[in-house]
Amino acid sequence: MSRDIKVMVTGVGGQGVIYLVDLLVSAATRSGIRVSTSEVHGLSQRGGSVNAGVTFGENTFGFVDQGEADYLIGLEFLEAQRHLSYLHSLSYAVIDNTRILPFSVSSEASTYPDTPELLAFLEEQIARVILIEDQLEEVNPLHRHLFVLGKATTLEGFPLTSHAIEKAIEEITRPALQEQNITLFRQGCGTDAGIKRQRAQGGQGDQTARSIV
Amino acid sequence: MGNEATARAAIEAGVQGVFSYPGTPSTEISEIFSTLSSFDVDAVDRTLHPQYVPYPVYFEYSVNEKVALEKAIAFSIGHKSALCCMKNVGMNVASDALMTVAYQKIYAPLVIIVCDDPGCHSSSNEQDSRHWGRMASVPLFNPAHPEDAYQMTKEAFLLSAEIQLPVIVRLTTRVSHTRSTVGYNGIQLNQKPGAFKRAPVQINIPARNADAHQQLVDKVHSEKFQRYFWNNNSLTSSSSSNLYGVISSGVSAVYLEEVLSRFKLQQRVATLKLGLIFPFPEKDVLLFLKQGFKYVLILEELEPVIEHQVRSVAQKNNLNLKIMGKGFSNLERTGEYSISIMTQVISDFMSLSLKEIKKPLQGLNDLVSNLPQRPPTLCVGCPHRATYYVLKLVIPRTDEGPLLCGDIGCIGLGALPPLKMLDTVNHMGMSIPMAQGLSEAIDHQHPNGVIAIVGDGTFFHSGIPALLNAVYTKANITVIIFDNRTIAMTGGQDHPGSAKHQGTHNVEIEGLVRGVGVESVSTVDPFNVKQMFSTLKGAISYQGVSVVVAQSPCIKIDSPLLPDRSQMKVVVDHNHCSTCFHHVDKTHPCSQLCTPSSGLARARAKIAAGIHLPAKDQSCPANICNHGFFNSILAGDYSTSLAIIRDNLLFARTCGDICHRPCEGDGVNKVPVKQLKKYVSSIEDNFNDFTALDKRIKETERQHHSVAIIGAGPAGLSAAYDLLLQGFSVTLYEKEQSAGGLLKFAIPDFRMDKGGYETEIQFLATHGVTFNFGHALGSEITLDGLLADYGAVILAIGLGRSLLLDQVEKALPRHHKYSAVDFLRQYNLGLIDLRAGSTLIIIGGGNSAIDAARTAKRIDQNNRVILSCLESREAMPAFDQEIAEALEEGVELITESEVNNIEAGDDQNFSLTLKNTLTGKTITTLNGHYLITAIGQSGDPDSLTGNHGITVDKEGRLPGDPSSELSYDHPSGNRAGALFVAGDIASGNHMSLIGAIGSGKKAAIGVRRALQGYQYEYEADEPLQALNSRQSHGMDSTHALKWEEQSPDQWSGDISRFDLYQPCERCNHCIDNFGCPSLVKVNGKVQIDQGTCTACGFCIDVCPNNAIKWAEATADISPVALS
Repeated sequence: MSRDIKVMVTGVGGQGVIYLVDLLVSAATRSGIRVSTSEVHGLSQRGGSVNAGVTFGENTFGFVDQGEADYLIGLEFLEAQRHLSYLHSLSYAVIDNTRILPFSVSSEASTYPDTPELLAFLEEQIARVILIEDQLEEVNPLHRHLFVLGKATTLEGFPLTSHAIEKAIEEITRPALQEQNITLFRQGCGTDAGIKRQRAQGGQGDQTARSIV
Repeated sequence: MGNEATARAAIEAGVQGVFSYPGTPSTEISEIFSTLSSFDVDAVDRTLHPQYVPYPVYFEYSVNEKVALEKAIAFSIGHKSALCCMKNVGMNVASDALMTVAYQKIYAPLVIIVCDDPGCHSSSNEQDSRHWGRMASVPLFNPAHPEDAYQMTKEAFLLSAEIQLPVIVRLTTRVSHTRSTVGYNGIQLNQKPGAFKRAPVQINIPARNADAHQQLVDKVHSEKFQRYFWNNNSLTSSSSSNLYGVISSGVSAVYLEEVLSRFKLQQRVATLKLGLIFPFPEKDVLLFLKQGFKYVLILEELEPVIEHQVRSVAQKNNLNLKIMGKGFSNLERTGEYSISIMTQVISDFMSLSLKEIKKPLQGLNDLVSNLPQRPPTLCVGCPHRATYYVLKLVIPRTDEGPLLCGDIGCIGLGALPPLKMLDTVNHMGMSIPMAQGLSEAIDHQHPNGVIAIVGDGTFFHSGIPALLNAVYTKANITVIIFDNRTIAMTGGQDHPGSAKHQGTHNVEIEGLVRGVGVESVSTVDPFNVKQMFSTLKGAISYQGVSVVVAQSPCIKIDSPLLPDRSQMKVVVDHNHCSTCFHHVDKTHPCSQLCTPSSGLARARAKIAAGIHLPAKDQSCPANICNHGFFNSILAGDYSTSLAIIRDNLLFARTCGDICHRPCEGDGVNKVPVKQLKKYVSSIEDNFNDFTALDKRIKETERQHHSVAIIGAGPAGLSAAYDLLLQGFSVTLYEKEQSAGGLLKFAIPDFRMDKGGYETEIQFLATHGVTFNFGHALGSEITLDGLLADYGAVILAIGLGRSLLLDQVEKALPRHHKYSAVDFLRQYNLGLIDLRAGSTLIIIGGGNSAIDAARTAKRIDQNNRVILSCLESREAMPAFDQEIAEALEEGVELITESEVNNIEAGDDQNFSLTLKNTLTGKTITTLNGHYLITAIGQSGDPDSLTGNHGITVDKEGRLPGDPSSELSYDHPSGNRAGALFVAGDIASGNHMSLIGAIGSGKKAAIGVRRALQGYQYEYEADEPLQALNSRQSHGMDSTHALKWEEQSPDQWSGDISRFDLYQPCERCNHCIDNFGCPSLVKVNGKVQIDQGTCTACGFCIDVCPNNAIKWAEATADISPVALS
């Protein structure tokens, strides 16, 4: 890895943002890449918005400021959109179209943002965006994190190999969940067909059906 | 992570005891010791993690930071090394111990970790705890990153051992929660046994304290520090110039390093990073400043602690430097620094224009502004939400409602929507003193009391002395302890009430509270809604200190107390969720407001009322939604309740006066609808406000058809009202010179507000209904003519002719006798002129007879009024209450009697003999002056002359069901669907005000079906038809009178006994007031997210629609259609 790379991971408390960060740290360490992270804990267990910066390279210390993230890993659509200002024109984004409705939306006091609008914006403004619309059967919709991370490893220049991440999963995941998590991760990488999945047809209806309600 | 590195450092330093109170961002430090300590570690943990704890470490979550530090001090005095961790504000609690321990001698090292929170990510203030070092004369390290934290914690142990003072390591969120690679070392394994030697120095008394202070000052100026300064302060020098020097500390140093490296400025700036900042390394700083810089920049978050010291050094040494600190560029005293702030500051400091290479995105504003916020919320299944919800049912959240003084922890989330159940939140433990103080301060203006809300952890932490104070000062407050058996917000740590570990004692809060002298104490499970409701109600009304312990374990902790609900799930029945059960026609106007308080009123009734009645049991023949009407009153929204009447019925006040309340049935246990109607329509401002109806009429699409209504009595007027609201042109023909019908002429003034009736009628006139007075059917107008001119005609001519008794007609001259209707009409017109103190005999047992009798009494109290009727008292057709009132007013009643003989006497006198209707035996002979015949009315067949196939029955009424379409042979051919009948003239109709109104409305529906293609039948046909078969005539009179005599203030308590329930389409209660994250509204219906639902089942009690139910876990639930 020749340059410093900054990654922003966003999601909602309970989706496993911190678990992903742990994985990235572990994978980087075993790959000999200097890694730092910065996250804010506290209210994450109460369903609030959670984000964490992960930086790779000698002169970075975990802090990702606005306009600095080379990669955005968004586990939830609204939270990904909320952190758009962290991206720059050469960023890569992988966004899961999981929609966890905040109270104001579930009470119909405000509206959840529109998917095509954001997608069009990102396609125009950044290097590449992957919007994940796959439906994963028998996967807790709150725990799609490894599928999303798998997708991220397919992005150009992502600092970690899928092999290193798999080793990290083995290292830090409870034994009972290891196999399942590795399968889910490989599925995201596109190297395993172990989990039944359906390619969503796209469109608002499908997204709503997949949202966390 | 910085916190983990700190813990590791303490272990390597050989720490023997760890004392802590959890608090973000410090918690992870203690958690390591919590799981891997001698306190609770089991063999498995020890085997799994031998590298962490090769020797036992005593650990506890102390009851608060003060106790934690005091116990840590004692450990150190007992020759064992100790670590004490807390968040920023914890230091304030512990400060008493801190300020004094420095005067004493400790024997084993004591290190205090305090974590500040610039930016207030999770704290109640942004304090800069670096001040505590100077304040207490205690050395203080200020690491910049995890590696620093590791290094400096180890140094702190060494320093503490060397100078025998506690040492503080001050972290910030960005150090605690930053991860990076930190190399670690071996663990020191020469732990010493505990010991205590008696010595005068252990006794801190004033006599030696001044000397001790001097010794302390000497200590912190000791040369011993120099080595630690060198080890923990680092220096870089610039090679290209010596213009710029930067002194930094904490995470600012990291931002600086990143920015200097990114813009390759390392060679142009000399830096000094300070790690040990108290005592201040004056010599090192002076050496740095003396390098000849022109500009020196000081970088530190929050307070200018280092800046002031640097300025002092520069001033003392007459250095000619420009020092830039707080106030320069973007350097603020509040919030966090960042890389972008640092970039700007360095730009300004070095007069450069540093530009990011990465290009920011353009036009972001539209996408990121106005996004829905995602505030933290109480968890799904959280017992606190249950307690808050029940409290919301108990107390009004109005200006008059009790004040709610909250506290720190998960319960603080109760301040956020939708609960919004807190008025104050201060620092930890403030709730109970706040309630006491406020109660004392504003008691007189605010008699409804003050409630303190405190979590179990906080109660143990600092609530107990406050409660003691409340008892001793006889405060009048209620304290609700939200006891979820753990310190939940920070992840489920122990406290004395939750101890899950062997060897600790579990303290019951209730016993403790009783022990401090509180007499009113209850422990209740928040999921038991009814019990919680009555307990809270009792506690709040209690004079003095009352305590409710709302006890149920946190859903996030592994507790044996949590029931196993794996076999069950909770589902929503969408046929009941937000569905209108009153109208089949969903386009029917409905004034019910969807407000949090209206939903709350319904939910409260469900939980708190003693009498639960399906709204269908109190259906109104005029189709008023009595459910919405009553529940708006429960919610205190009287204008909406009137509007709901007016959705269906113009004559709210008139019905409030004289409706015979068929909806209230026989029993005493029914909602007193009539009385409530009278009340809401008596509020003049609301009654005279027709703006909502104005608006509705304006917005209604006009119909092309026009409708004629013959007869401007209640039936005709009601039909006119409904048709007007539907956009029809309506013309009324009335044979009298004004509108109102029999009601206006025949009901005495004392029974109804005629002015109100007039106002109601005027509404029609001013909103486009045409009135033609003096138009009698058969003379000025004919059916043929009207049917030719109008799309439809409603015949509502009433019964104009009084039935008379032949005996009376033959025997008595004109001035001795009246029909009841004539008598009442003349009375109403002021034409009656009776002889003073006369005797009036009324024949008849119906309402007209009673009205006439009561009127006769009112004309002159000295009149003797005797009423003779065929029926027994129970069988009299008059309304029971009217009879009761007549008797009370002195009317004499001779039941089961009929006229045997009548003879005119001289002048204005006659004698009347009554016989028993069954036996024929003479009852009595009466002398009277006037006789009023009140045996009924009949139609006027003459008015229907040339009736084209219309037949009338022997009473002169048109046959068939009320309001049915009437077949009519029109000369121009078939006019099916053109002629309708309403009111008393229809033989099937019940002769009552509500019967007339109902039939008028039904006729209007007939017209709409015929002219508009309207598809529904009259929605209230069932209660309308039921009028005829109903045996009773209103509710029990004693009960009714009780309502009538009471003011709203009195009955407002009484009506809360009732729950008139029914699903409502506009319901949004669970979302508005409860807000469990598993309840999500999709297209107007609530769904339960089975993925997150914990099946606590509480929402089953919450739902006023009774739409949420238990189901087997395996039941298949089809989701609501997403259209």
